[in-house]
This record gives sequence, C-alpha cells and structure tokens, in this order.
Amino acid sequence: MLLELDDVSKVYGVSCGNCLELTGDSSECAICPECNAVVAVNRVNLSVEENEIVGVVGESGSGKSTLLQMIYQDQKATSGEIYFNGLKDSNGNKLSLFNLPSGKTSWVRNHEMSMIYQNPHLGLNFNFSAGGNIAEKIIGSGEKRYQIIRDRALHFFGKIEMPTSRIDDYPEAFSGGQQQRIQIAKALSSSPRLLLLDEPTTGLDVSVQAKILDLIKALQYEMGFSMIVVSHDLGVINHLTDLTLVMKNGCLVEYGLTDQILEDPQHPYTQLLVSSKL
Amino acid sequence: MISTINGHRLEVRSLAKQFTLHSRGGILVEGFRDINFTLSNGQLLALSGPSGAGKSSILKTIYRTYLANQGEILFRRSDDSVIDMASCPVSRILDLRRREIGFVTQFLKILPRISALDGVAHPLIEIGVAEDEARERARIMLQRLGIREELFDLSPLTFSGGEQQRVNIARGIIAPKDLILLDEPTASLDEKSSDIVLELLKNLKERGIALVAIFHDQRKIDRVADKSIDVRRKEI
Amino acid sequence: MTTNKVTFGFFDEDAKKEIRRASLKAVALPGYIVPFASREMPIARGWGTGGLQVTLSLITEEDTLKVIDQGCDGSVNAVNIREFIVSVTGVKQTMATPEATVIQTRHRVPEYPLTSNQILVYQVPIPEVLTIVEPDTAKQKEMHASVDYSKLWVLLYEDTSQFGDSRISSRYPVRVNDHFVMDPSPIPKYDIPKLNNNPSLQLFGAGREKRIYAIPPYTKVEPLKFTDREFIIEDFGDKCCERCGATDVYLDEVHQEDGVHFFCSDTYHCDTNKNEVEDAA
Repeated sequence: MLLELDDVSKVYGVSCGNCLELTGDSSECAICPECNAVVAVNRVNLSVEENEIVGVVGESGSGKSTLLQMIYQDQKATSGEIYFNGLKDSNGNKLSLFNLPSGKTSWVRNHEMSMIYQNPHLGLNFNFSAGGNIAEKIIGSGEKRYQIIRDRALHFFGKIEMPTSRIDDYPEAFSGGQQQRIQIAKALSSSPRLLLLDEPTTGLDVSVQAKILDLIKALQYEMGFSMIVVSHDLGVINHLTDLTLVMKNGCLVEYGLTDQILEDPQHPYTQLLVSSKL
Repeated sequence: MISTINGHRLEVRSLAKQFTLHSRGGILVEGFRDINFTLSNGQLLALSGPSGAGKSSILKTIYRTYLANQGEILFRRSDDSVIDMASCPVSRILDLRRREIGFVTQFLKILPRISALDGVAHPLIEIGVAEDEARERARIMLQRLGIREELFDLSPLTFSGGEQQRVNIARGIIAPKDLILLDEPTASLDEKSSDIVLELLKNLKERGIALVAIFHDQRKIDRVADKSIDVRRKEI
Repeated sequence: MTTNKVTFGFFDEDAKKEIRRASLKAVALPGYIVPFASREMPIARGWGTGGLQVTLSLITEEDTLKVIDQGCDGSVNAVNIREFIVSVTGVKQTMATPEATVIQTRHRVPEYPLTSNQILVYQVPIPEVLTIVEPDTAKQKEMHASVDYSKLWVLLYEDTSQFGDSRISSRYPVRVNDHFVMDPSPIPKYDIPKLNNNPSLQLFGAGREKRIYAIPPYTKVEPLKFTDREFIIEDFGDKCCERCGATDVYLDEVHQEDGVHFFCSDTYHCDTNKNEVEDAA
C-alpha cells in the first residue's frame, strides 16, 4: 500500500465538535449549522496502491484540492491520519505524515511525492530558470553533483518535448502550456512514487490539454508512479485514471473503477454529475 | 464462500442487475436477472436476444463496468485461484483487466491522434512486448483482418464502420488473455469480413481462450458457439 | 542627582548580559541566527552597530582592541569605532594583529593567522543567508529547521550553467559544523577558507537586523559547493602589492587616472611585510 488515508478531516474555523456529523453528503452544504465552521474534508478513507491512477471529481468546494494539499502536507488535517509507503516510527508503529519530524517531512515532499498545480505560479519559482526549477527538485532529493543535476534536468526537459536550448530561460518566457510542461519535468525529476495533480490542464486550450495529458500518461507508463488527479473535467478523468472517487460536501460518496463511475454511477450525486456531462 | 467451479474458467450464478435512477425519484430499471452459465477454456458462449434485453449489460457486469446487484461471477485465474469478480476489491479487477480479461466494445474507443497500427500494438507494449515486435504483430493482425496496408498509419476515426470494428477487435484480442468478452463483434461487417472475424474467434478457442460474445444471427452462433443463452426481458 | 559618568563599555550591565546571553546561545548553536534587542547607539544603524554591541558586551579592561574596515586600521569608520570603544572602556588599542585580543572587522579576515586567545567580531549587514531566495521569514525558519537549502543550491546551479561558476564574490554561503548554512558577512571568497577550523572565536553582529550568530573555535566551515566542482577563490595572477610586493594576500584594485593599481587590503600586513623586505635589503 503506497498511501492510506484514515478518517481524514479538515475543518476551517473553530469547530463545535459536532461539525462532521452535522454536515456531509446528505446535507445542503459543508457549513456547520451550529458553529458555522466549514468542513472541507469529512472523514475520508482511501487507499492507493503502487502504479494506480486515481481521479477525484466533485463540484467546486467539495474538498478535492484540500484533500490533495493534505496528502502533500501543504495543509494539516484537523483529524485523521495519512500513512505513506509504510513509514514507521522507532517502535515499528505506522507513522502518520502529520507526525513526521520536520526534516522527514521535507524528505517525503522532495523524494517521494510531487505536486502539479493548476497555477504554474504555485508550482514554479519564477525567479529561477526552467532548469533551475527542475534542479531544485533534484537537489532537494539529495543530489549534490553539478553534472548529474544538469544532465538530469536536460533529460527531463527533453522528456517534456522542449528544445534543450531553452533550459536556462525563465518561466515567464514560456507559454501557459509550456509552463505546465516545466512543472511536469520538475515534478518527475526526483522520480517520485506519487504524483499529485490539481486540475493540471484547466485553462489550457484543448489541443494543448490533449498533448499534456498524453505526455503525463506516457511518462506514468514509463516511470510507473502512482497518481492522484483532481479534475472537474470528466473527460480528463476518463482519459487518465483507472479509479475514481467522487466527493460532495467534503465526503467521499462513491469510489470505484472509472468506467463504472461514469457508466453505472450509484450515488445520486454521481448520477447528477455524470448526467451533467456535455 | 467461493466454491470450486469444477475446472471451468468462468461460472456466473444468479446474476442480476437493475439500475436505480435517483433523478427520477429512484425508479428501478431492470437490466437483466437470473443469469447462470459456466464456461470452460476454449469455449464460446453466445448471448442473443432482442435489443434492450440486457445482453450488453451482462457483458459489462462481468467486466465490472456495471455493478451487479445480486449473484456471483466466479473466475479462475491463471494461478488456479478462484475470484468473485462481482465483489472483489477494485484493485483486483484492474489486475485482471491488465492480464487476464479482455473486452471488445461494440464501438471503437480510440484516441484520434494515434494511428491504427500504434493503437493495436499498444496492449502488447503495455504488457512489456518490445515496441518493434508489438508493431510487427499488430501489422500481421491487421492484415489478417483485411485492413488495407495504406490505412495502418492513419487514425481509425477516418475509417469506415466495418474497418473501425475490425481495428477494435484487433486491439481487443492481440494481447494474450484467458477470457475475452465481445459486444457484437460482427455487427457492422459484410459477409467476407464477418467470416474472417469468425475464423479468428475459432482460432482463439483453439488456443484455449474462453469467449463470451453477443450475436444476432443464429447462423453465426451455430458456426462458433459451444453454448448460447437467449436473453429475454422477464416481467418483474 | 545625575552623573555624567559613562559605565564601562557604554551599556549598563543588564544590556551587556542580554547581548552575552545571545552570543552564548549563538556559540552553542554554530551558524544559528539568534535575535537580540539591538540597542540605540551613538552611531547610526548600518554603520557597524551590531559588531560594536558584541564587542562592547564582551570586552574587558585587560583586552587589546583592533578595528579594521576592509582590512584597513586607518579608515574613518575604523578609527571612529576604535576611538569610541576606547573612550568608553579605556582599553589598549593596537593595529598589530597578533597583539589584539578583540578584533572588530568589516568585510575582511586579517591575513595574519588568528589564535585561540583572540575573538574576531564581524559587522554584518544581512544576517539571513536565505533572504535572497526566500523573502518569507516563516519559511526561512522552516528551511533552516529542516536543513533544506535547495534554493541556495539552485543559485549555484544557475550560475554554473550560465557562467561556468558561481558569480557570488562576497557573502558566499557557508555550511557550519555540517548543519546550518549562514552568511559570513561580505568578506571576499578569498577569506572563506580561513573560517574553517579557525582557533579564534568568530562572532557576527547585525545591529540593524538585531541578530547575532557565531562560529566557535575550531569549527568545520565549508563553502556551499557541488561535490564535482572546485571552490575557486580570487586569483590575482602575477599581480603583487605595489607597496610591499606581497603576492600571497588579498589585493585591492585601485582605479586611478593612470590605470589600475594593486595594493594589500590588510594594511597591518602590508606594513610589516614592507619593513621585513626593507630590513632584509
């Protein structure tokens, strides 16, 4: 098991203690009627195996991105645990990502996981060149030999089908689609076990979107990492993923094979979502 | 408990499917019910019956695209263990789909930017066959199915319905599987192409592969099927 | 009743104690930046008040003081600071590096090797090495805590890719005791190797930024560099000091109407070298 989420919740605001029960998939919204705290993620359980590609769908505000951010430790969960790749404490008990010593936290973020954001400004440092951005991830994963870093940066720059002559250019000199590609090169350059993608192609025109999705798919096949893809676009989910989870009001309402979710949705909300497809 | 399935490849027991339409106030729509059969290696089971009787639904339920409401789908894996595909974890299904169970849809599901040859070679590459060898085997398969050589490098989206169907079949059967499900494999084919496909199915049987296929034409069923089920909608 | 008498070392004892506490903590955590309550001084912040406060907090009647600015004992700032310290402490002053027990410096390490009886106090403009790559102070602290300096390495990577080597000429980042990376103040790359395993205590004071940090005696200090790249210090080629003829020292480049001239940056070293050469002749 690569990743295991155990009853993970995220509440914004001061909770009255009953928020998780008072909100959820059957209620109107994710705001607690008693204390007005916002329940972004409500007791989600999930496991992701090696090499699996999992999609996360749901309307805006359903907690998709928050879920991803908690896995990447951009956000701390209010309750629940996230276990990754069998990490254990000195007593041999499973160690949650939230309880890692701080040095280990950045180790997991740099070595084992990568995130691709919808907004390239979140995923790339615009003060560093394209190559510098890729190098940052490689250096973070422990490499301190310049030639190896440079060669690997060039390798991944080539992998995203960019002319290597542009590797020392700065991100603002690239188009939106190219910036997404640089994010992909950066994310993959540490050979992560888990790639997290938050709306990776939203806002790109369809021809660029198709190329980037094909690229992600080809690289996943070649390198064999697991992926969690957040998207509101069922086409993207259908194209990329094997498994899909559906979120509503922070709750996981349905989880299954992607073709099953799209062709035989069980939950009323999933049926609504699938029937809204153009 | 999963009992032994007497050396069969597949045993389906009291399988039933109904759809709940929540947007229509939760009305139930009947898919099919009480489907029972066994299938051994090298056998072909034909599903026939009028449109809307639930033939495709049965195939999709076996493939787990539809979730069964009732019944068991017992499949003997290559290591001889038996798994109930109606209830096993989804990750096991992904495993089965990768190596052991194939599905040939009625309509072509193929990316517009991938050539026919690459599309057919892809399932082989996915299981680790070298790219050159995969392409060569794809070439032979397409030739065998009577696709003209000059079409190989084009996207199948530009092909005729019959050609698309044959590309689809080539893609579905090129990688070795133990069980292949086929949704109307000869539906839009002329007599000659139909014959080619039926011959191909016979070859698959000879290689020990178990097949479940939907046919409309009794003569085709007589030519390739070892057993058949006439699917009729039963009144609730 | 008021008295005009100034206490020893300008500060009252509580103020000195606070600065000493910060200094001790800095020594205990080599390379770690310790905040302190930078006092008002009779000179403006940014003119060496950090170094001055550290010096005043630890100097005693028995000490001998040397103050240099870019290696020079005679520059206006060095003279003013030295005279101020002497006026509030009455300690002996000197220009001779070996005689000094406390040396306050701006932007140079003396050429003459230091001993374990000496304390070198640096004046520091920008104590946080990460400022250049990460403006958010909360994130800087996290990066130090998790010893994550990849962003600094990226600067090295970019310079190496585009210019063949790091373009940093002064304030070259150093890793102290295999842990924290710190800013060594704007000393030239030439002086970086002298920080390593130095017998003297090295204290760094930033008055404007209210920070103190330290390198204890005999501590491992190494420049941040790729393992497959050499750390290259300034090379003056065949140039020598026009005044004393020294070649194995850091030279100042002086541009005048008749061209470029080279002189020792360390004036005490230049004087002694010149005398030795003349004596020999």
